[in-house]
Parts: sequence; C-alpha cells; structure tokens
Amino acid sequence: MKKYINTIENDKRTSTQNLMQEIWDAIDNGCTEFEINACGQHNIGGSVWSKDGSPLNFYIKNPGQRVGSMGAKGTNIYVEGSAPADTGWLNSGAKIVVNGDCGDTTGHCAASGKIYVAGNVGTRSGALMKKDPKFETPELWVLKSTGSFSFEFMGGGVAVICGIDCEDMPSVLGDRACVGMVGGIVYVRGNIKNLSDDVFLLDLDEHDIDFLKTGLKTFLSEINKEEYYEKLCAFNQSGEDNTTWHKIVAKTYEERKKQTNISLKTFRINKWFEEIGGSIFSDLTYDDFESYDLVQTGVSRLRKPKWKNYAYSAPCEYNCPIKIPTQKRFSLLRAGKIKEALELVLEYSPFPASVCGQVCPNLCLNNCSRASFDEPLDVKMLGSLSKDIQIKPFEITKNKKIAIIGSGVAGISTAWQLTKKGYETEIFEQDDKIGGKLSQVIPEERLSKEILETELERFKNLGITIHTSVKITNELYKKIEQDFDAVVLAIGAHGAVVIPFEGYERLIKGLNFLKDAKKGKKYNLGEKVVVIGAGNAAMDVITEAYKQGAKEVTAIDIREPSAFEKELNTAKNLGAKIIYPCFTQKITEEGVLLKDGKFLEADSVIISVGDRPVFDFLNKTYLDEKSNIKINEFMQTENPKVFAIGDAHRSGLFTNAIADGKHCAENIIKFLNNEPLHELKEKDVIPEHRIKSEYYECYNSNCDNEQNRCMSCGYCRDCGLCKQSCPQNAITRFEKENGKFEYVSDPEKCIGCGICAGLCPCGIWEMEENK
Amino acid sequence: MNINSISKDDLPWIVEYDSEKCMLCGHCVAACSFNAIKVDVQKRKKVRAISNEEGFQIDEDQKAIPVIKQVIDANNFCRGCGICKKVCPNGAINVRRNQTEIFGTRYRAKTAQSVKRGGRSNLHTEGRTLDKIKVGRISQMTDPSLDALRHTFDLRTTLGRVVSANNLDFKVVDGELQENKKESLPANNSIYPIMISDMSIGALSPRMWESIAIAVAYLNEVKGIPIRMATGEGGIPDKLLRSKYLKYMILQIASGHFGWNRIINSMPYMQEDPAGIIIKIGQGAKPGDGGLLMAEKNVKLIQEIRGVPKADLLSPPNHQGLYSIEESVQKMFLSMNCAFKFNVPVAIKVAASATSVSVYNNLLRDPYNIVGGFFIDGIAGGTGAAHEISLNHTGHPIVSKLRDCYLAAVHQGKQGQIPIFAGGGIGMNGNLAADTFKMICLGASGVFIGKLILQIAGCVGNDFGKCNGCNTGKCPIGITTQNPKLMQRLDVDRVAENIVNYICATDIELKKLLAPVGNSTLPIGRSDALVCVDKNVAERLNIQYVC
Repeated sequence: MKKYINTIENDKRTSTQNLMQEIWDAIDNGCTEFEINACGQHNIGGSVWSKDGSPLNFYIKNPGQRVGSMGAKGTNIYVEGSAPADTGWLNSGAKIVVNGDCGDTTGHCAASGKIYVAGNVGTRSGALMKKDPKFETPELWVLKSTGSFSFEFMGGGVAVICGIDCEDMPSVLGDRACVGMVGGIVYVRGNIKNLSDDVFLLDLDEHDIDFLKTGLKTFLSEINKEEYYEKLCAFNQSGEDNTTWHKIVAKTYEERKKQTNISLKTFRINKWFEEIGGSIFSDLTYDDFESYDLVQTGVSRLRKPKWKNYAYSAPCEYNCPIKIPTQKRFSLLRAGKIKEALELVLEYSPFPASVCGQVCPNLCLNNCSRASFDEPLDVKMLGSLSKDIQIKPFEITKNKKIAIIGSGVAGISTAWQLTKKGYETEIFEQDDKIGGKLSQVIPEERLSKEILETELERFKNLGITIHTSVKITNELYKKIEQDFDAVVLAIGAHGAVVIPFEGYERLIKGLNFLKDAKKGKKYNLGEKVVVIGAGNAAMDVITEAYKQGAKEVTAIDIREPSAFEKELNTAKNLGAKIIYPCFTQKITEEGVLLKDGKFLEADSVIISVGDRPVFDFLNKTYLDEKSNIKINEFMQTENPKVFAIGDAHRSGLFTNAIADGKHCAENIIKFLNNEPLHELKEKDVIPEHRIKSEYYECYNSNCDNEQNRCMSCGYCRDCGLCKQSCPQNAITRFEKENGKFEYVSDPEKCIGCGICAGLCPCGIWEMEENK
Repeated sequence: MNINSISKDDLPWIVEYDSEKCMLCGHCVAACSFNAIKVDVQKRKKVRAISNEEGFQIDEDQKAIPVIKQVIDANNFCRGCGICKKVCPNGAINVRRNQTEIFGTRYRAKTAQSVKRGGRSNLHTEGRTLDKIKVGRISQMTDPSLDALRHTFDLRTTLGRVVSANNLDFKVVDGELQENKKESLPANNSIYPIMISDMSIGALSPRMWESIAIAVAYLNEVKGIPIRMATGEGGIPDKLLRSKYLKYMILQIASGHFGWNRIINSMPYMQEDPAGIIIKIGQGAKPGDGGLLMAEKNVKLIQEIRGVPKADLLSPPNHQGLYSIEESVQKMFLSMNCAFKFNVPVAIKVAASATSVSVYNNLLRDPYNIVGGFFIDGIAGGTGAAHEISLNHTGHPIVSKLRDCYLAAVHQGKQGQIPIFAGGGIGMNGNLAADTFKMICLGASGVFIGKLILQIAGCVGNDFGKCNGCNTGKCPIGITTQNPKLMQRLDVDRVAENIVNYICATDIELKKLLAPVGNSTLPIGRSDALVCVDKNVAERLNIQYVC
C-alpha cells in the first residue's frame, strides 16, 4: 500500500510534527510506501520501522534538513532533486539516495546504512562517521565533490568521492579534509589539497579496486548514472593526474603517537651545523657538545688536588726570623733520627742553645699551632739539646777572603755560614772576647755562661782567624777593605742613646750599666731608680738594678712598652712599676719631672731607649745625613763588596741578626761568583684552618714526646690517611731516593672532591681551580 | 666563634647533613660549584664512667670523624641550588631555606657592598595580577567555539609599523589593487606572539645561547612556529650573522653598543635580514640601570666578540647621546632603519615606568613610520646580574602599564599601529599560555620571556631565594656561566628540545584559550574575553569584575 502525502493543503503547510504523525499512523496501518511532496519538513524518513520488519520506502520531493536522519535498517529513501543539510544524520541503517546535491554535514555521524548522492555535498560532510562492528559499515557515495572540512573526526565507515566534473577543482575534498580522522576509509578521485596530518594518502590496492568496481555499479545504478561507470573504473592508468583514485586512511594510534619530527640532535648536526659550518662559536672556541655528568674526573673536574708538601712554612718557621724549620726537626725526631734533628738547627744558627734555648723570646713558640689548642711545643728545650752537638772543622776550598768586623751574633753567623761553604773569613773584634752583646750585656740570669761559652767554643773550633781587642780606625778599615774580597760590617749598636732633656748629664746609660754589671762593676744607685724606656733592654736594666740594691724601680715610656711579655713580667715580679705614656720634662737631683707636672722621685735615673751603631771609622759617603749606614735591599753599602748587617743597620732581636748573617753570607757568595743577589723571600705561612687539631688529644702538661704533639704543619707526616680515604682510590704513594716520598693523585680517577685536602692533618693537599 | 662573625644561622640556606648516611663518596663537594660545602674533620669525644666491684671505672673514647661541612663565608655561601642533594647516592645531604636569616643585613655590614644577584624580584608584596584575571567569555550558544586541537588557528602577530588604512597608498591597475609606491609601506614581519627575550652572550654561556638559537630555528623550520629570538647585546658570532638563521634573530643595540662592529662588518655577507632590531633603553629587572657583566664571566671569547678587556662590564644607564624621545626617534630609529635599508622593523624596549604612556604617545606621533614596536618590561623581569635593591624595589608592574599604553592608542584610534610587546614575569607561575593570552586580550601584540626560558632549560633558581647566583659565573647548571667545566653540564640538544616542547605545549594551550573564546586569530585588545575576581584590578584595567 502506497501513501501519497502532499504537505501543502489549502495553502497551508503541514508541520513536521503533523507530517510525522501522518506517516506513523500510516505505518501502524500497514503502509510501507510513501510518496511525499514535502515543503522543507525535517527528519523525513528518519527513525521509522514497520511492525513486521518489512521495508519502508520513501519517495520525497523538496525535503527539509536531516532527511533520513536516525534512519533505521529497512528504510529506503529516494529524494528527487537536492536535499539540504544533515542528510543521513546519524544514519543507522537506511539507504538514502539523493538525486541532486546535498547540503552541509551530509552523513554526519552516520554509523550504518548507505547514502548515495548524485551531486556535491557541503562542508563537514562525513564528519564523525563511525563503524560499529555489530552493524553493517556505513557508506557515503558522492558523485562529485565535498565542501571543506569533510570527514572531520571520522571514526569509521567508507566514503567514496568520485570527482565527476570536478577535474579542474584544486581539491575535490575542499580545504582541510580529514582533520582529526581516526578511522575509516575515504576513496577520492581527483585533486586533493591541504589534507590534515592525521591521515595517509595511499594508492589503491586490488581489494580497493574490487570494492569500488562492485560498489560503483550499485551506486551509479541507484542514481541512474551508469554512463560514468567506465570513466570511474579507469584504475590502471599510468601516472598521476586529476582523475587518479586515492585512498585516505587515518593513522593508527601507534602511528600518530610516533615522533614524526627529526630529533633536535639531528637538526643541530644536519641542519644547523651544516648551514653554519659548525657551531656559531666554532671559530672562537672549541666545544665537543658532549654533555657531562655533574661529577667528573680529569680535565672536566671543577677542582683538583695537589700534594704541596712543605710549600708553606709552619707557623714556627714562619715566625722565626732565621726561619728554622722546627716542624722538620720534630719530624726527624718522630722518625728516630735524633742526631739529624739536633744537627739540623746548626745549618741555620750557631747558637741554638744560647739564643733559641735562652735569650730568644721564641716567636716560633708563641705562634705554634698547639698554642691555641693546649700548650705550644717546647722549642727552648729542643734548642738547648743542640748545645753539645759538634760539627767537624771545614776545609777552606775557595780562594776568597772575607773580613767580618764585629763578632756579635750577626758577625759570627756570617762567618759560620761562609766557613761551612769553604770561604776563608777573618774576624776583627773591638772587645777582648767574642760574642758581642751575648757576652757583654745579657745578664747571666738570662744566659748561662756555661752554655754561651760552649757554643762560642764550637764556633772557634771552625778554625777562623779571630782578632780581638782591635779598634777599627779609618786607616785600618781602608786596609781591610783593600785586602779582603768582601767586608761585613757587623759592628752592633754600641752607642747608647741619650735624649737631651734638661739635666741629661745626670743620666746613667743603660748599655754601659749592663756592660759594667757583666764585668762585675757595681753602681751606687740608691733606693729609688727611674728607668727611661721600657724595651727588653730596659727590663734587663731593671733586673740588674734590683740586683744592685734598688728597692723601688719605675720604668717610664712614651708609648706602650715594647718589651716582650715574659721580660715585662720578670721586671714586674721584682716589684717594678711600668708607667706610660710619660713625657720627661727634666732630670733633677731629686728625680724626673714629667711634662704633665708629675714628679717621680729617684736617686738614680737610667736611660735605656736604644743603642745606635758607631761608624766613626767609615768615610761619610757610606752614611746618610742621620749618620745611618746606607744600604740596599741586599744590605749592600755604597761599596758593593761591603755589607752591613744586624744592629749595624737596624736594631732587632738576636735572631734578626743571625738571620742577617745567614742571608748576607749567601749574598756574599753570589757576589763573589758574579751572580745576582737575592732578597730574603718569605714562604707563606700555612693557613690555620688547614691544620686539623681535631686529631689530637689535649695534654694538660708537657708530655715526654714533644715530637708526637707537633702537628707537622704543612709538612707531610706520611700517615697515609689521604690514600686510604680517597673514594676514587686515586692516590698513590711513591718512594723516592734517600728516603723521600711523594703522594700523587691520578687525574683520571680523581673527581676533585677534596676529601684528601679536607682530612689531611697537616694541610698538605691543596684544592685548586681546574683551569 | 666570635659573636660578630657570620654564622651558619645567618646564611640564607642551611645544609643539612647526616654523617650516619654519608659514605664519603665526595660527590657533593665535587659537584658544588659555589664552594659552599667542604670536607672537614669533627672531633667526637665520649667519657663514660661506672662504679662496679672493681671500683670507679672511667673510660674515654675519642675519634676524629670526617664530615661534610657548610662553608660559612660572606661570598662562598650556599645558595640552595640543591646539586649536592642531586648527586648524593644516600640522601645524606639536603638544603633547607633558612626562614629566619638576615643575610642581606650581615653581608652589607661585613662588606660595605651592595647585595648583587641574578633572577627576579624576590619580594612578593602584591600577588600576581594576571592570576586574578580569568578568561571568562566562553562561546557557548552565542557563537560557535572551535576545536583547539584539530582546528586551524593563525597565531601570528605583527612586528613593525602598521600604517592606518587611510594612509595606505594604493591604486587600481587592471581591476586589481596595487601599492602605488613600493617603499611607501614600512617593514613588518608576521611572527609568533611569544618572543624569546634579549639575553646576551656573556650573561648566558655560549652553549645556552646556541641552544636557544637552535630551538628557535627548529620551531620555525620543523614545527612551523614562527618564533623569534632577541639576541641581547653581547656580541653576535660572525657565523650566525652570515647564516640564513639570522632571519629568526632580533638584533639588539643597548647602551654599551657591544659587538656592533662585528655586525656592521658582517653586513655585506648577510644572506638574510634579521627579523628586527630592538633599541634597548632599559629593562624591568633593573630599571634605570645598565647591563652588568661581572669580570668572572668576561672570558676571552666574550672579550673578543665585545671588543673589551677583562673587567666588570657596566653598560651606561642610558644611551649616551639620546636626550629626548624625539631625538631618539630621529637618531636611533633612523640609523637602525638605514642600516638595513628600511627593510627591517625597528622597535624600542623600555622598562615600564610611570612615564611609559607619555613615551608611547610620543612615539605614536612618529611622522616617518619608522617606529616598529614598543617593548615594555615590567618589574618582575629577570636578569643575570643586578643590585638586589634594583630587583626588589625599582620598577613598575607590567599589566596596568600595558593596558594604559594600549588604551592611550585606542583613545587616538591608533591601536595596533605601533605594536606593544610586554614582558617581565610572563609565565613566572609556570603557565606561559595563560599569561600570554591575557596580556594579548589586554592589548599586547605579543609578549617576551627570558627567565622562563632558563627555567625550561634546567635553571633551578626561583623567586623565593633559590640559587639566583647568575652573577657569580658559577651557575651549577651551565646556563649563566663562562666556566667551561660548568657549561659542559648543559646538554644542548636536551635544552633545545625542552624549549621546543614547552613552546609546542604553549601553542596547544594558547589554542585551548582561543577556541572557547571563538577566535582563530589573536584577540589583541579583546578585553571582553577577560573577567577579574579583584574589583580594584578590574576597575583599573577596565574589565568586568566577577565574583
């Protein structure tokens, strides 16, 4: 039974709802054929089915949108002419044949059934088509072309776009077809442009051709265009043109995930370097473009260790004017080399017992690394132990003669060093015995006569010609200068300084007082004594004054006392008062009047503000306007072969004078061999933090083994801790000749962590920037 | 320990160390570039006593234990970079921000020096304006939104002077529109709205700089993202100047004019014009201050391409010879236009300031059509080296400044004629796309980013005092250093890949904002797309307040 429906009656259009109702009623009454003269009603032929499952056929003219939408299996729809948008929307099994063009989104979301279009379809046609395996695959056949964005997000099904009469179009699929397509197949005949990246464009295989040959026959017969069959089936042409068939398939999930772009490394090497000719910096600097781990060995380390044994001086050595390496002496003691340890000091000083052991304020000891930890090492004792060490007389091997004027510690030190090097020296001494101020001035309380004489005897044993009680006159000096290859002025400071206060003639000169005291001459000082000056010599004066019967001694100075703490304390313990700042106005019979009006009663006033050298035998050309000797940085005077050392050029400690003598002897040898002279170079002291006191136990009193208390600052004690703790096993100990050794870190293993440097008890390993 | 010495407690970061877990492999000390930790010895002593049948027993145990110690020093101090933690196999070491430190006070008191560092402002006094703004106009039923992932968008913006339609000189020839005189139109380039900001060779290691350049080339040539890179003013290698990749570079001339000798001498050999020129007047991180390259970073290569000896390089705070806006237009803009035959857009970069609108208004009057862009850099901009006082206390937030400038142009009907590019903290909360989109809606033609690029590359620094040691030349990552050992840590390909990936992700995210708004091109000035949850900000920016 066929039903004709005309949707305009009495000039009135039937609404979509009424048309639908009419169709549903007819189907309920067993009608299966509909011929509908429509007037733009929606959804015609969609979602209808017969009770018994027999097919429903619709013949439609002038439909509205969504012809056959949600079409069920068993529904056949034939549209005469064109259909507007959404034809076959959500088609779920219907066959829809449109004899003209279709509007936008034709076949949108079609999931089953077949749509045949005899013309073009609009934009977004075939979008979101799907395939449900439980149902027949949806198909969309189009004789001509699609609008842009066709087959967007297509998930399944088959579309065939035949491109008839579209051969001149740039793209039969419009612009940007197949965006987001994940499944299905689109067969296209003709030009295609600007396809999305989500698909591949392939040539047809035999299965495709078989499918099309069969399908096209049906399609063309449905739309009554069999005449195109042959044209459309020209599959085996050679070469590509605007009539070639292609197949568009979506990339698989895996294919889409796959990195399709070249790697950055490939781009860098094959594009960037290729175009530029290497890195943009390659003409400026080298770079291997390798990336390195944060922890590196070899040249790539940030820092590297260096075993710098004895590259720094220990505080004891550094602070000793003679630079006696006491850390080395203790190291020898630790090694059981007692003789060597006690001999070593004699290379530096002929007076280890008298000076180091007795009169020296021991700057070495004050700065000992142990001083801030418990107690400094007993260097005094160590010096005293060298008292009886004898050395063999030396042979004179050089034919140069050096005159030394003065036999104080400076002169003796020079002669000691020169003789040991084979030079002949002659000493000229004004006093009747050698030893300078050690012999003439220093009280026996501070310097044992026995010790001094033992050491002077050791010196005399060198076999040097010594002239005592020789007053150097101008003539004698000129002769000496002429007769000798070099002259050393080591005359000391034996001119006591007197400040011309009013009443200065009442002053007793401290230097003379001490010299006389040493000779046994006593002064009648009275009970109250004022000493002007508060240096070390003034402290000796105070001690001697008490010894000679003074009851109340006061030392005054214009500034803080320059005497060392120990000397000050000795004086204070005797009851002396030290007052400063005090400026003397005048000296009277009753005492000292200070500029601030204060009066210090005194029976005697002794001045001890320093002594100056007396150069009355020299020509004035040697002296400056203040009558000081003119010397250069090598202690060389106007006459290059004449050197002035010790107190002769600046007052200092005995150790300064001994150091001058040693330095001067080295330079005289250079001078005599026409070599450039050298300045005394100081080795840097090892930084305090590099000595690890954490390894040591604290002692409350002097221990028997001083050598074990020594922290061996900057001087490797060969403990091997570095080797054992290196995480990279990079450190090796090498034995060298005559018992020497060396630790070396292998750069190929070392990461520059600094564990060796951080743990080294002596501060030997040093970390450097690895440049 | 003297009470006046700097102590561990004063330092900005505390190194926490567990000697029980430590196996003394040395990795942490070997890798620390700041010399902030050291190996040392610790004394452990225990005295125990017990009274038993044998009497009162005392037993003593003393050992020296090797440990890793924090260095306590005003110059070599831990900056919290955390490299030690990264390399420690046992988790024995960690760094913790010292919340109660007053290191800045101690440092100044000890050294009589101003505090210098890299990074951004570390003061967080006002909250981020951009985070209070939401993209609130979503296309629903009113107009179709787009599919961000699968639809096509055109994200290009314009660098260069845009002439108003009224002033275009066209004629009709054979029914087609043609320019009357070819040279009448000023140069402009269609580029990506995100630009990599001007970081100099010198501030950055050669590897880092080249990594960015490679990433830019890759984004252009492989990914089709037309991003551009501003070179900074630290000299440019001849090899780059003479390669085709110059077209992705925006050359900079700052007050030091470093390296321009080589640029000029390379001109006859250039295959391509650069993408643009930036005249740098100032920058947001240190407004009113010139560039600062510490001597530690001024190594041989830098000395060579900049033409200077080893020294701290301090660029003057201003271009010597520019005394007014008009003069700068006449002199600098003309010189730079002439240098490239008027084929390259020339823009200017200034630090955002209370006076920025006056400057922009003045530029808009440009009678020669030679002002090709206005770059404003806000207070949250980053830098390789600055005095901390500049970083924290000078400058102007960028958002309202951009808005003011844009609305000033709108007021004259000249919006878009001199494109505005805004920078300074863009992307500092990690999301570049959001910031970029909002700035564009507020009127920016594009944004520029610097510090973010370094973070993408692996910079561990942040705006809460972490690392910020760019000025020291000891960058633990190899980014802001000239020390070859540190630079070697940087993996050029990985850095470039990270930048490429981040920009690609940003590209997706930008589209995720464009799509719901329904724009397939940049919504420059489309402030109706934005709403703001802060009434004051909304009022100030002239956008909708919502709550």
